Amino acid sequence: MVPPQYYLLLAAAIFCIGLFGILTRRNALLFLMSVELMLNAANINLVAFSVYWGNVTGQTLSLFTMALAAAEVAIGIGIILTLYRNFGDVDVTDAASMRW
Amino acid sequence: MTAPAAFAGLTALASPMQMGQLPDWTALAPVLILAVTGLVLLLIDSIDADTTNSALLAGVSTLGAAAALAATAWSLATGVGQDGGAITLFADALVVDGMSLFFTAIFTSVVVMVTIASYDYLRDHKHQGEFYSLVLFAASGMALMASANSLATVLVSLELASLPSYVLVAYLKENRGSVEAGLKYFLIGALSAAVFTFGISLVYAATGSLIFADIAEALSGGEFVGIAGLGVLMVAGGFAFKTASVPFHFWAPEAYEGAPAPVSAFLSSASKAAGFAVAFRVFVEAFPLATIPEGINWVLAFQILAVVTMTLGNFAAATQENVKRMLAYSSIGHAGYALIGLAALSAGGSANGNVLGASMAHLFVYGFMNTGAFLFIAMVERWGVGRTFEDYNGLATQAPVACVAMSVFMFSLAGLPPFGGFFSKYFLFFEAIENGFWWLAAIGALNSVLSLFYYSRVVRAMWFEDPSGSFELGSQPVGLYAAVMIAAVGTVLLLPGFPPVIETAQTVAGTLFA
Amino acid sequence: MNPWIAIGALAVVGIGIPIGMMAVSSLLRPSVPEQGKSATYESGEIPTGTARIQFNIQYYMVALLFVVFDIETVLIFPWTVIYRSALEQGVSLGAVLTPMLVFVGILVVGLLWAWRNGAVEWVKSPRATRRKTERQS
Repeated sequence: MVPPQYYLLLAAAIFCIGLFGILTRRNALLFLMSVELMLNAANINLVAFSVYWGNVTGQTLSLFTMALAAAEVAIGIGIILTLYRNFGDVDVTDAASMRW
Repeated sequence: MTAPAAFAGLTALASPMQMGQLPDWTALAPVLILAVTGLVLLLIDSIDADTTNSALLAGVSTLGAAAALAATAWSLATGVGQDGGAITLFADALVVDGMSLFFTAIFTSVVVMVTIASYDYLRDHKHQGEFYSLVLFAASGMALMASANSLATVLVSLELASLPSYVLVAYLKENRGSVEAGLKYFLIGALSAAVFTFGISLVYAATGSLIFADIAEALSGGEFVGIAGLGVLMVAGGFAFKTASVPFHFWAPEAYEGAPAPVSAFLSSASKAAGFAVAFRVFVEAFPLATIPEGINWVLAFQILAVVTMTLGNFAAATQENVKRMLAYSSIGHAGYALIGLAALSAGGSANGNVLGASMAHLFVYGFMNTGAFLFIAMVERWGVGRTFEDYNGLATQAPVACVAMSVFMFSLAGLPPFGGFFSKYFLFFEAIENGFWWLAAIGALNSVLSLFYYSRVVRAMWFEDPSGSFELGSQPVGLYAAVMIAAVGTVLLLPGFPPVIETAQTVAGTLFA
Repeated sequence: MNPWIAIGALAVVGIGIPIGMMAVSSLLRPSVPEQGKSATYESGEIPTGTARIQFNIQYYMVALLFVVFDIETVLIFPWTVIYRSALEQGVSLGAVLTPMLVFVGILVVGLLWAWRNGAVEWVKSPRATRRKTERQS
């Protein structure tokens, strides 16, 4: 059996790639993809440790996570679409009419 | 969840409890009523796709929310799930007890006020059916959050509450401010949801379970402390987003300012309370201080968060010129006060239940006074008066009754003695001192004094300044007026009605520590 | 034996088979270069412009509905796994079926709403209709 630390490392690496994408990219669609990466990193953990602990809780939750990710993308793209209609671009830094 | 446990859940669903009692699943009645009302609204909208019959839509949603509130009140009064008899459903994934009912009462009251107010606010808009059904779906998600007893249900219900909220904030899709607010809310929400999910996966990796009680038991063994600690920290981040506390608070001023004002009211009161409901339960039940390993000191994290959140919120609010934005920052400050409920806990502290209960009571009072304040802003927006403090100058000459209500909200938010907000803050600080955290109470009190400055600016502008221009208030929006009045009466009634509220809150909070 | 050896062997075989097939076929086949073979569409349609154009927004609506309803099947999956064994262990049919029927019922309400609000209808833009009539006349 592959030791569980490897899965943790893989998941952490993918999570960090996603986080890096969020921090560096200004395109809203790339932002969504990065969030997907982070969620799937969580899925790797859940499935791997589901095998490790010998119960199916983690696997079941990973199914829910997938469904939630899909719903989130659907809503996110809808909002990005209205962003494009109002600001003419999908650059997240364009929408800055309110000051921080 | 093992297979036999799942079957047990299924059979529990079908078989009624002992003789003469309601079946267990009826304890979820408030959630079910909210969800079904949302679906009914979608059906109404399907039958007549272009309906702008505000009276029908607002009426159905208000009735649904009021029915859910009545069911909650009935359950609270008859002691469903209380006195140590918490009802667990679906193989311990959900629990109905005094605390979940208490929070459900907050959410449903806020929804009633918001739907009544939306009747006027949305009059000229298309897609009204969607608006109301999204509000009710979000409310059912919040009620479910208060009942969640497993990290899986926490995640699903949190998203059920969040996803409709993103859409509601961006509801005015031709208004650049609303779209921008929705985008920012969504971006930070998606990020924090990802962090939260990863945190849950780490907690699962360390404990092998998602049920709170099992997590607590597995953690006391002291295995995988590093992974569990990181997971706990990330889970706390997810709650910080939902409650608009510091590391994830950036969305709050934008979202509250850009969103339609009834949605701001809904988010800043109900959504925040929902975040606290689930945070209280997760941290007290799944990561209990008494048995958690030494390395995972979440109390320290919450103490830092509480102090930074309330100080930052209050100082930022004091520098605002826009009233709605000032309220947004003050709402961040109040999240800091409510965080004291977690920050002032200690292992085996004598007043643990009391301080948590005081925080819950503060959220209850806050539900009324903050909703009322945002709905007053909605009414002012409807009148077409500007958004800054100067635009409010002399408003009392035109609308004295509404301005009295707004003054009540402002003084109550500031925590001046004769109002409901004073008692809730007093109890919160008092119990924090009882539990040995006098410095938290001191910082909170200092912040309250500062907050009086910017709240009183609104009151001074409305009553004592001369109007800078002439007002054309136009029509009297009946629904908005009614909603503001309900909130004001609620805030005032919480003056004599505070003892039962705080008693209920502290009793139900005490059972968490039992 | 190290379990990674099996994975490595699988990777070697997985890469080796397609490379081997391509190598063998390139040795066996006759070489007849012809212009028509390199065209994008062998049907004779000549491609114009780039693929990076704006697509009609209505594709998005259909894709969105697809994503949502496609992913919902994921949530039906755990139910199908326990369905039969739940019945064998004596849980009544109603108790097993009802949750899934409620779940599908909620989805049906959503679909009904999307349908009635025109999400699945292909609305023709006035310009497209005009161009079509011009071409016919």
